[in-house]
Amino acid sequence: MKKGGNISVKNLTIKYGDKVAINDVSIELIEGKVTAFIGPSGCGKSTFLRAFNRMNDEIIGASMEGDISWMGKQILSDEIDPVLLRRAVSMVFQKPNVFPISIYENVAFGLRIQGENEPSNLDAAVKQSLVDAALWDEVKDRLYDDAYSLSGGQQQRLCIARALAIGPSVLLMDEPTSALDPIATAKIEELISTLKSKLTIVIVTHSMSQASRISDHTAFLYLGDLIEFGETKQIFEDPKQELTGQYISGRFG
Amino acid sequence: MTEANPLEGDSPKHKFVLGSLFASASLSVVASALIIYTLAEGTIEFFLAEEATLLGFIGGGEWVPNGRNPRFGIWPLLSGTFLIAGGALLIAVPLGVSAALYLSEFASNRSRKILKPAVEILSGIPSVVHGFFALLVISPFIRTYFDASYFNAASAIIVVAAMILPIIVSISDDAIRAIPREIREASLALGATRWETASRVVLPAARSGIVASVLLALARAVGETMAVTLAAGSVASLHLDPFREVQTLTAYIAQVATGDIPPGTATDAGFAVGATLFILTYTANTLAIGATKKGLGRKPGKLRKSLGNLSRTARSAISSFSNGDTPGRAPFDPLSPNSTDLKRRKSEVIWRRLIGSSLLLGMGFLTILLHSVIKAGAPGIDLAFLTDYPSSRAHLAGIGPVILGSIWLIALTMIFALPAGVGAAVYLTEMSRPSPINLFLRRTIQNLAAVPSIIFGLVGLYVFSRMLGFGLSLLTGSLTLAMMVLPMIVVTSEEALLAVPKGFREGALAVGATRWQAVRYHVLPNAVPGIATGAILSVARALGETAPILFVASIFSKTAPTGVLDGFMAMPIQIFFWTRHPSQSFQDLAASTILVLLMLLLILNAMALFVRNRAEARRSW
Repeated sequence: MKKGGNISVKNLTIKYGDKVAINDVSIELIEGKVTAFIGPSGCGKSTFLRAFNRMNDEIIGASMEGDISWMGKQILSDEIDPVLLRRAVSMVFQKPNVFPISIYENVAFGLRIQGENEPSNLDAAVKQSLVDAALWDEVKDRLYDDAYSLSGGQQQRLCIARALAIGPSVLLMDEPTSALDPIATAKIEELISTLKSKLTIVIVTHSMSQASRISDHTAFLYLGDLIEFGETKQIFEDPKQELTGQYISGRFG
Repeated sequence: MTEANPLEGDSPKHKFVLGSLFASASLSVVASALIIYTLAEGTIEFFLAEEATLLGFIGGGEWVPNGRNPRFGIWPLLSGTFLIAGGALLIAVPLGVSAALYLSEFASNRSRKILKPAVEILSGIPSVVHGFFALLVISPFIRTYFDASYFNAASAIIVVAAMILPIIVSISDDAIRAIPREIREASLALGATRWETASRVVLPAARSGIVASVLLALARAVGETMAVTLAAGSVASLHLDPFREVQTLTAYIAQVATGDIPPGTATDAGFAVGATLFILTYTANTLAIGATKKGLGRKPGKLRKSLGNLSRTARSAISSFSNGDTPGRAPFDPLSPNSTDLKRRKSEVIWRRLIGSSLLLGMGFLTILLHSVIKAGAPGIDLAFLTDYPSSRAHLAGIGPVILGSIWLIALTMIFALPAGVGAAVYLTEMSRPSPINLFLRRTIQNLAAVPSIIFGLVGLYVFSRMLGFGLSLLTGSLTLAMMVLPMIVVTSEEALLAVPKGFREGALAVGATRWQAVRYHVLPNAVPGIATGAILSVARALGETAPILFVASIFSKTAPTGVLDGFMAMPIQIFFWTRHPSQSFQDLAASTILVLLMLLLILNAMALFVRNRAEARRSW
């Protein structure tokens, strides 16, 4: 597995039209670790996350300034093709968004568009990805069923398998459990802790307990500003900023 | 205030209101029954004739309605119909689906704002205008490059394709836009290009809607009358050569309507042809409704084929994923494109341009059409033309009584159709719960909307003109048109009613209003702009409609009608006869009349737009 090194963000500002969503944020994400972004709704966590695979390019009116460097390249520069970037920096969304096709084809899609059509290769990759996403045992007898026949939690794990199948170095997760019940949530959290040996994970979460359970580092964002960033243990037990402490103790948010 | 027991049932007034609304909703059933009755009676009459047998009709390869030895085999008409409908679909389906995909996936908001109305303008061009264009512009063009006859199927195919293109574009566009944004994001986040996302994820997911659009377009193409009658000719022969003359089912009925067929068995045959046409379009429409019912992907097996199958030259990302780094391979560098990626980029650019150009083609058609009509028609328009009667001498001819006839006709049509249509919409959306009866009424309205317009003409002739004795009058014409626009008014009114927030109804009901009071005082007033917009667009539709009144309109009159039982002329009918005239000076008169008609349509559409925009600006909710 290729982790691709740390990702360093320098003076990143993201705007929607004139509205500033992320304001001059600098941060270093460590390879092979889980970094959590926490903060109240509307603080810009998801917008920040979508910068790492340039999904903000798909939003009309969004503009980004500053640098994100990874593997010796400026990934926000025009020279970087977002299509190639997204193959290395994969993403799982808030609501499970499986394609209305079979389970198998959902996982195989990312490979097929890259030109991989060899059935044996695809079979192997689909199986491996489903195993890695802890879904294989539940779906191995129904790979050609419609993906919509799965439960919500299973669909989200299918989305993770789909994201893993393209062999990413980084996995972005945008509140991946917010639409799931507690049991499905626990399964995904368990999965995250096994996956981090293989890749760098960045997760946006609404739940502070989730951040404290699964992440190595935590960044607290508030109204577009990065208030505090550090080891998760330190952030939760000994926050340096007053605002962080207030948020963590539930006084607002 | 009356001292009524608060727990007593509905008041008599309420029952009366509910009864009339139900009656309005049932009118579509009456209309459908009249259609079936007309077609059945006429068809039976036809088969009672000596010359006609069921076997000869279904199996016969010759259609010779005139002469001493008439033969009535339906196949030449069927082959003509399918040549034109099939040819038109062959052109319009790829273009229409491409255009819809381009509009929803690639066009910027600004270009969408220009392109979408252009498609709507194309859909608003009356079919008789397309006929003029086909016969007098496209056909000469085809004849200079191919060995084609004056009337030929090819020119009809081209305009019918242009007529069904907007149907395919708008319904496919709706279906494509209904695909959730999340699914597109999922595909993009996996490193798919925009084109790959559009073609391999969005398009397959929207396929049931696209299939429905194609079926509806088929029904429309099969039922299209005026353009085909003008351009394709009136010789029924069994062949599939687009450069020769063909007659379609609809064109034969039109031939009956214009009095070019002698009365008797040959005229009765029009009803049997109408029945055949009805069955064909009804089937296509029913299949279309079935297609829209199917939700997102229920057949993964089939989709496996539609996904995938790109070239195999590519390196896979997976071998490195499942087996670890392969020795000897280039160092890990996901951000530089490999040869497959370069190919993908190239095909992205090519495909985008290709599907974008489909819209240009449609725009080009529209531009040439308008240009030719303006060039031929503009010089002829002056005050004398707008006020004189249609003389048989071209330089004296005008369309004064024709314009007045159209205005009379449309005013009467709306007097019949508007209250009935709005009443039906109120009944269906507000006053009734989902029930088998409600479903049946809805289905009837849906089917009525898909009946080819020329069939309404047969009903007008048989029921209103002959049975009820209204003759060839304004009353017959407007009742016929009212039947035709009724479904359109119901559907647009329903949309307007459904757009009123649910809270308005609940708020009224919670303070003790009856359901009707809630609708009367809180829903209807807020739905008026939407209903008005729909009504104006129905007026536009009725104004340009030719086929249903072809049977009943007068061919010539010096004066405008003065009462509902008078005969009448109408603009589209005048355009039809002048277009068919062999002399160029009359064809130019047709162009002038088209220009006047298009102006009126433009004004009506501007009014609809104005009403809608003003209501949106003023709306507080």
